[in-house]
Amino acid sequence: MGREALLQRKTAISYKTEEKTVVRGYDLNELAEAGYSFIDAMFVLYQNRLPAENEEKMLNYEMGEFMEHSMSPSAASANAVISGRPYLPAAVAASVMTFGGAHGPGAAHGYMLNKYIEQARVEGITLDEMAKRLVDEHLDAGMAVMGMGQPQHTDGDPRAEPTHLKHEELGLSGVYLEFQRSIEKHFHARRKKEGRKYVAVNMIGAGNTALAELGFSPNAAWCIGCVCRGMSCAAHALFNMRKGRAWAASKGEAMVQMLDLTMIKYVGPADREVPSQEERQEYAKKQKAEGEYKQWVL
Amino acid sequence: MGTLNDSRLPYNYHTREWGTVPPDKKRAGFQWVSEVAYKNVHRIVSRGYDTTELVEAGYGLLDMIFIDFQARIPTLEEVQMLNYIMVMGLEDGLSGPAVMARVVAQGKNLLTQAAGASILAYGHAFGAFSAFGNMMNKYLDKVAKDGMSTAQAAELLVRENLKDEALGVSDLMLKDPSAKNMIARAEKLGVSGKYTDMLKAVAAAAQKASSTPVDVDMLGATGAIMLDMDFSPEATWAVMAVCRAFASGSHYCEENERESYQRLGEVLTPKEWYDGPADRPVPSLEERAKTAKPTRCLTPEEWKKAFDEKQKMVGTGWAIVEEIEVPKTAFKKGKDVKKSSSKIESIAPESCSKTSEQMKAK
Repeated sequence: MGREALLQRKTAISYKTEEKTVVRGYDLNELAEAGYSFIDAMFVLYQNRLPAENEEKMLNYEMGEFMEHSMSPSAASANAVISGRPYLPAAVAASVMTFGGAHGPGAAHGYMLNKYIEQARVEGITLDEMAKRLVDEHLDAGMAVMGMGQPQHTDGDPRAEPTHLKHEELGLSGVYLEFQRSIEKHFHARRKKEGRKYVAVNMIGAGNTALAELGFSPNAAWCIGCVCRGMSCAAHALFNMRKGRAWAASKGEAMVQMLDLTMIKYVGPADREVPSQEERQEYAKKQKAEGEYKQWVL
Repeated sequence: MGTLNDSRLPYNYHTREWGTVPPDKKRAGFQWVSEVAYKNVHRIVSRGYDTTELVEAGYGLLDMIFIDFQARIPTLEEVQMLNYIMVMGLEDGLSGPAVMARVVAQGKNLLTQAAGASILAYGHAFGAFSAFGNMMNKYLDKVAKDGMSTAQAAELLVRENLKDEALGVSDLMLKDPSAKNMIARAEKLGVSGKYTDMLKAVAAAAQKASSTPVDVDMLGATGAIMLDMDFSPEATWAVMAVCRAFASGSHYCEENERESYQRLGEVLTPKEWYDGPADRPVPSLEERAKTAKPTRCLTPEEWKKAFDEKQKMVGTGWAIVEEIEVPKTAFKKGKDVKKSSSKIESIAPESCSKTSEQMKAK
């Protein structure tokens, strides 16, 4: 390989010469030598600026709590991938890639906030009025309100409300927190009115609101939240690599393993004979005509 | 049916049972076993520490990295050092991880897919922290167990691995002082140790052995200091790959903001770049029976001849020779086979650098 860039691109993010690497105008080594933190560097990378101290504290708080969440889809995929013993980065990459529409949908929440805040501005109504509309529109349509509820922490994610409080304590409250708090107020009121159980704000609702207030775009916020998790998932994968059994199916372990045959519960078509090649064409035509297979199509 | 009546089969294929395997009541049921973390309805606990209490007490991401990987609270100096390392590791321009993220972005994918894909750029050449660390451990073992001096072990390491991409010493940082600055900072903070000393000895030995100028590079400086702070080679590999993934997200964003998506079939490859077989007519299926022959070989000599021929066909994979772990006694009897030129271990690879060298030679 030569030292030329692998893609020819105009970029506003960084450049690298034989002498230095420069991100958003700052020499990375000068940043490190001056004592700026990795947290500060997130602001440089995604916002072209160095943060105020309280902003740095808020992001450090969030990234600290985002990092580890024990048994979640991300850690589960890291463990599943490493059971085949590929290189470690494969497991870490898989863990980051689990974040989507259900697990940590931070970008979507950010876009939702921006869309409704803008609509409130255009219509000249208060954020509280717009929050009520958001809740009513979503619940009337049978849609989940992003940022509310967590399937494991059924009394509320232990990180969420403290994040809101830290957001306030550090003097960083703005339109995003005001709007999110209003969403929560109307969400709780509506569920109570309908006699439904309490569902608390989750880490998207709390954490992503703070990230938006800190000036991160929906995708930047999502990246920060999800990639943090890659760190802990690497630790989970390493634990399994060092102390677990490869393949995760050993009969020699005292505990039934994740991929033990007994873990399979099959609910598909009943056992059936394989048709011979002579029977095949007629069999296939009949199967297609009867259409019973359609209930199994994925 | 086919081969299913063959008596060499290990059991009777016609009388095999149908249905799933019933639950195993003799053993404990499957549970998520972890030394790293657990959670309940109200808490998330990492290595014994409640994570909400940690952040409320002022601990942050970098402290959490030490807690998760090492089950301990780091000293302030260690956090300063890790901050320094991660700031330096965050971005590297349009190198592998950024390109991976941008290519994924071109396909109109989610950010998390791009960030995840960028992590896969870290292997045993680019960001070779696992290979580097395990190489250091191998030769430092000779200091600990065989009574070698650090300088002797470093000389041996260089003799055996001078061209290895994971050496940590190269011509990449001859004009950029960042790697040396990083080591100076580690020493100033009092977090450097035997790995940094070994790296310096490796650099000295490499400078003697190399015909061109070389010095400590970012892989070496970062890897050695992380090892001195008790991160394992694999933990270092993961931490640095994930560190870069934060910036890969930014490249994903920029690719979406400034470039168009790539459609299936859109990209062309110039014929001038092609050096495979000349354009040729496709034979009819009838003609195939006359010309196509199985590739099987009946003797080791035939196999060797075919093997050598296949190695000339670029893109087939035959020219890549990876050494696998075998018992040390395996080839001691009889004539030794020519040593394979690379070594890839399943968990803690020491090096696979010579594979690419071999490729270049081809």
